[in-house]
Amino acid sequence: MSRKILLKHIDVPGIRGLKAYRENGGYQALEKALKSMKPDEVTEEVKKSGLRGRGGAGFPAGMKWSFIAKPEGVPRYLVCNADESEPGTFKDRYLMSHLPHALIEGMIVSSFALGANTSYIYIRGEMLYVYHILEEAIAEAYEAGLLGKNILGSGFSLDLYVHPGGGAYICGEETALIESLEGKRGNPRIKPPFPAVKGVWGCPTVVNNVETIASVPHIVNMGGDEYAKIGIGKSTGTKLISACGHINKPGVYEIELGLPAEEFLYSDNYCGGIRNGKKLKAVVAGGSSVPILPGELFLKTANGEPRLMSYESLADGGFASGTMLGSGGFIVMDEDTSIVKNLWNFTRFYHHESCGQCSPCREGTGWMEKLLHKFLDGHATIEDIDLLWDIQSKIEGKTICPLGDAAAWPVASAIRHFRSEFEEYVKNPHSIKDVKHYFRINNLVEQ
Amino acid sequence: MKKTAFINDKPYSFEPGDTILSFVRRYFERDFVPTLCDAPNLDPYGACRVCSVDVALVKDGPCKAQASCHTPVMENSYIYTDSERIKRLRKNIVELVLTDHPLDCLTCEVNNNCELQTVAARVGIRDVRYPEGKNHLDRKKDLSHPYMTSDFSKCINCARCVRACDEVQGEMVLNMAGRGFDAHIIKSFNNNFFDSDCVSCGACAQACPTSAISDVFESKSVSADKKVRTVCTYCGVGCNLEVAVTNGKVKSIQAPYDAAVNQGHTCLKGRFAFSFYNHPDRLRTPLIRKNGELVPATWDEAYNYIANELNRIKKEHGPDAIGGISSARCTNEENFLMQKFIRAVIGTNNIDSCARVCHSPTALGMQRTFGTGAATNSIIDLKYTDCVMVIGANPTDAHPVTGAKIKQFFMKGKPSIVIDPRRTELARYATYHLQLRPGTNVALLNMMLYYIVMDGLEDQKFIESRTEGYEDFKKHILNLDINELEKVTGVDKSLVRKAAHAYATSPNAMSFHGLGVTEHSQGTYTVMLIADLAMITGNIGRRGVGVNPLRGQNNVQGAADMGCQPHQGAGYLDSYDPEINKMYSAFYGVDVPMRKGLKIPEMYDASLAGKMKAMWLMGEDNAQTDPNTQHVVSAFKQLDLLVVQDIFLSETAKLAHVVLPASSFLEKSGTFTNGERRIQRVNAVVEPLEGTKPDGQIMCEIMKHMGFNQPDYHPGVVLDEISRVVPFFAGVKWDELGENGKQWPVKPDGTDTEILHTESFKLGKGRFQTATWRETEELKSNSEQFPYILTTNRELEHYNNGTMTRRTGNVEILTEDVLLINPADAQKHNIADGDMVCISSARGKIDVKAKLTDEVKSGVVSSTFHFPDIHMNDLTSSVADSEAMCPEYKVVAVSIRKSKGVYKK
Ligand SMILES: Cc1cc2nc3c(=O)[nH]c(=O)nc-3n(C[C@H](O)[C@H](O)[C@H](O)COP(=O)(O)O)c2cc1C
Ligand code: SF4
Ligand code: SF4
Ligand code: SF4
Ligand code: SF4
Ligand code: FES
Repeated sequence: MSRKILLKHIDVPGIRGLKAYRENGGYQALEKALKSMKPDEVTEEVKKSGLRGRGGAGFPAGMKWSFIAKPEGVPRYLVCNADESEPGTFKDRYLMSHLPHALIEGMIVSSFALGANTSYIYIRGEMLYVYHILEEAIAEAYEAGLLGKNILGSGFSLDLYVHPGGGAYICGEETALIESLEGKRGNPRIKPPFPAVKGVWGCPTVVNNVETIASVPHIVNMGGDEYAKIGIGKSTGTKLISACGHINKPGVYEIELGLPAEEFLYSDNYCGGIRNGKKLKAVVAGGSSVPILPGELFLKTANGEPRLMSYESLADGGFASGTMLGSGGFIVMDEDTSIVKNLWNFTRFYHHESCGQCSPCREGTGWMEKLLHKFLDGHATIEDIDLLWDIQSKIEGKTICPLGDAAAWPVASAIRHFRSEFEEYVKNPHSIKDVKHYFRINNLVEQ
Repeated sequence: MKKTAFINDKPYSFEPGDTILSFVRRYFERDFVPTLCDAPNLDPYGACRVCSVDVALVKDGPCKAQASCHTPVMENSYIYTDSERIKRLRKNIVELVLTDHPLDCLTCEVNNNCELQTVAARVGIRDVRYPEGKNHLDRKKDLSHPYMTSDFSKCINCARCVRACDEVQGEMVLNMAGRGFDAHIIKSFNNNFFDSDCVSCGACAQACPTSAISDVFESKSVSADKKVRTVCTYCGVGCNLEVAVTNGKVKSIQAPYDAAVNQGHTCLKGRFAFSFYNHPDRLRTPLIRKNGELVPATWDEAYNYIANELNRIKKEHGPDAIGGISSARCTNEENFLMQKFIRAVIGTNNIDSCARVCHSPTALGMQRTFGTGAATNSIIDLKYTDCVMVIGANPTDAHPVTGAKIKQFFMKGKPSIVIDPRRTELARYATYHLQLRPGTNVALLNMMLYYIVMDGLEDQKFIESRTEGYEDFKKHILNLDINELEKVTGVDKSLVRKAAHAYATSPNAMSFHGLGVTEHSQGTYTVMLIADLAMITGNIGRRGVGVNPLRGQNNVQGAADMGCQPHQGAGYLDSYDPEINKMYSAFYGVDVPMRKGLKIPEMYDASLAGKMKAMWLMGEDNAQTDPNTQHVVSAFKQLDLLVVQDIFLSETAKLAHVVLPASSFLEKSGTFTNGERRIQRVNAVVEPLEGTKPDGQIMCEIMKHMGFNQPDYHPGVVLDEISRVVPFFAGVKWDELGENGKQWPVKPDGTDTEILHTESFKLGKGRFQTATWRETEELKSNSEQFPYILTTNRELEHYNNGTMTRRTGNVEILTEDVLLINPADAQKHNIADGDMVCISSARGKIDVKAKLTDEVKSGVVSSTFHFPDIHMNDLTSSVADSEAMCPEYKVVAVSIRKSKGVYKK
């Protein structure tokens, strides 16, 4: 199960440049699509491939594309979500900085499928170096006639822009991203209307993650059916996982979906086991937003079946005993980690990043942070655990955008699985305070 | 087929486009579902989440909390508005909000009228479970502005203010800054209200559910004894106002959300500029000139004096030595009485109104082409149009509420055209700004017509079925020398062509025009060409099209409708026609004259020639507002009797022999007719200031004094009389006008009319009229010596000559008239921003402060006449529209130079 698709050529010298990329099969999908396929046929292949969105929610990409409204005379847009700001997730920047043309080819083929003649890559503002890499690659592509008017004589034209954001996590939420792209404050929009009907500049728009789009050329090349054979069940294809935390080999790995979780965590091909021979305590399997799982529940489902790295298996058991594949930000915590302190740190992040539009999230994230701080200070009471639970339950599913959920789930899962640790903080504040460590958000993303 | 959904398990049918909230509110009272960020005149926003309800897609299915204000109703879904879960959710949300809100309700300005308070009570908050923490209770109040205030410690981040400023006013002053807990409202670049770009419309204050944004009048407090709905007096938009009264005094003004005209919006004049009404300067007793001095007198003395003088003059010089000028600021009833007085009691057609100096060319031009001198469509049509053309109008300043709507349209990026010598606010948003040389409207519109004909964009079907005279018209148009016209107007012909295409090819195109069209020597011709443009493109007689004059004063339409012009009596019937004369005579019960009457400028000439002996002015300050002041003043000085009815001792009143103190609009009842022909009820809010009388009552009393059988004044009675003589008022009844009035023509059964000319024109067929551009006499004779063109305009904050607005806080916002000069011209004359400039014309010279701006092109200067000390009308000329005699305020040949000091006459 070690098939590589996206990162197959990552080690080829000069692969960042157009020449090496082309020599290694790059832009073949583009030629194939533009010269021999109709836009709808491309969409059809993507549908068949079963490719699911890699940005977090895992929504089938082909289906999303087929929802796009096509009113007469109204332009359509494709926007690539390269905001990647989720703590623990750092796969898109890896892909873009090493293989910029993979994304660009994906953008062109996908734009062709959607009938978009202007497309945007919205990149996180802090990733300026990647911005420059992309700009350079785009210039090369224009030069080679792969972008611009009448690409390769096909009659299809596309202009591609890279738009750096201003450094707000919320701008990764697709509608906030669109607002920000339009030059406004990045507030998520209420839905409906969905971007497929009213997105950028009020026109039909598809927003896809970097990895989703970069997968499209491979699907075009091998055919949707062939791609669907990779992976397991409805989790088709391969997925980039950015692994970090207390493991021996942090880094970005491409895995075939369905890889056993245990193998991923312990095999030397991947994470290489827990650092310093420590024991596993907990895993956040898909980026800071997804529910945290105790080690045992990560490795085996509640039914005792081995957990696989797939959308379905990780979600097995619902939120009671499962989690989500999310955006593939894999954070491992050893036995010395303080769940409460770590949770406080995550919550602080969401509090800081809430856009402030809806009251439950604006005020609720703040109060969750304050309450968690009470635990750390040793002033918390047992009732505070229930209050914390109460607040998160009034945020989850009750806000404009899923940032509210993202803030609530870690709290809910931490209380669900580690209640005793909260109680310990109440009963015995001093004993527990010094020894435990936690993840600083900055360290997470720098690895 | 109606679709059904269930509310608390009972089926109800819903309309397409319903949100859960609008659906529920259709069947239950407003606060059945509590809300905080929702507001009647704003788009759903979904921020507070207090409106959440449980929704299940099937009976007994799993419920999901949905924000009802923005979630569409799903067919056959089950909506639970008050499940235990939802109650807890709402409670928790409000509790969270209250953790950052001061709990000092008892001393809060909006105590008892606070939506947060109501919602907190509604969801049953008893305590706040969250420990004290960081909050924003220490935020400072903003008291920088004469009207607007803020205290953001009370802010609950619902963004209603931001949306009101964006969606209603379109000013984009307010925004949220900061993220999450730090999110807070800012004004412009984090300024206070005074330094921000705020135009003080008050929409944000009205929208704010707490006292976080409010105004100095505490409009949202509940201390008022009563609230009275009436109509604003400051412009032809005719906004409805809800006036709060405490102890017999006006306390504050808000805008009713259900007002058809303004939907909860106003400008700062309507909402805040009311303090003039009990200003110490108000006249409180009649004055009679004795030994050259105006001295207080009783009403009887005044009436006797006037009656004696009028009778004497009538006997010695005949009734035509007497003239009256009525006012577009007064009600329909008062205007009707005024013309009745002049015609039936005095016995002359020397009656005119201030419509002469603003929209007389509109009435005439539209009568000649369509047959009816009134807006063909309604303001609501802005919702249905695809292209808007604004000619010689600056509605964001002069008709702010309509202006805001037009600006919203412009900002949506649909085709929009502005024809104006100045780069007005709208011009900045327009697709095409045709910045022509002042005085060349006719040339420019001819260019547009030329391209429409040349490029075959006419609506043949409309032309054939609805109009006549097209062949001749076409010949005339094709003979035009387009290059010559390009030179004359100074506008690139390819730009004109693009604009013409935009107007002609949009499915529905609407035009608006203002005084920049009418106040010209070719004003009537310009109006006719605007009508031609509408006819040639078939833009008449349905939603979203038409020719729509923006009426200056509040009741310009009404003053003309009521017959305040020499050639047409009440209802525009020809006062020189023998048959009609018989009808009028029978109606008034006395013989009314058929002799030609004089228009305002002719009255001045007659006075200077010794033929006019007495004039009666109702609420007019002609010595300020009419052009060529010195000429007007000498005319008044020649009279044996000048009677002025006014609320202040105006410049004109100072010249009068008798001054009668009138009541302001807040003190009287009647009707105003707005620019879209909407007859709306004006309701007395407070008792007339002691010593004053409503103008209508004064008219009735003097009529009786002079022996005419006129019943005591009651607006309803007069309106009834009007409805019996003015055909298009046939079905107008005082008690049936309702809150939002009716748009004339009103049929006898009471149905009114939103759109004119839907089937046919008043004239049967529309008549194409040609016009050839001519240079105005003013420039022909004076431009050598006076090479610049002065054009006059308005500013938002002030109304006309400012007698009212200068007696309010508005004067703190805009303190003076300035002269707009293009920087290139300024440099030539060594003039810097803020320097005093001396402007001279063939009539006189004045000093005014310079403001350098590229709003005006080189060669053109522009100013206002809100501040009488400047004497702007000393400069303007007596040249007038050749047809309607509307003075040419918009083109004056002047020279400019830097002045050494303040020039005093
Ligand atoms: C707060 C928040 C942040 C998000 N950040 C990202 C991001 O950085 N990158 C991303 O691809 N999707 C992000 N998403 C998900 C996007 O909203 C969207 O679902 C995704 O871009 C769709 O792409 P996909 O279908 O290809 O996964 C975020 C969502 C939320 C609620
Ligand atoms: S959930 Fe949070 S981040 Fe999302 S819109 Fe609401 S306040 Fe903003
Ligand atoms: S008063 Fe009007 S212009 Fe000023 S901030 Fe409020 S809404 Fe905007
Ligand atoms: S100032 Fe008022 S309207 Fe604006 S966000 Fe605050 S509470 Fe809402
Ligand atoms: S827009 Fe006109 S009618 Fe409305 S409030 Fe302002 S001045 Fe009054
Ligand atoms: S009223 Fe619906 S979210 Fe505020």
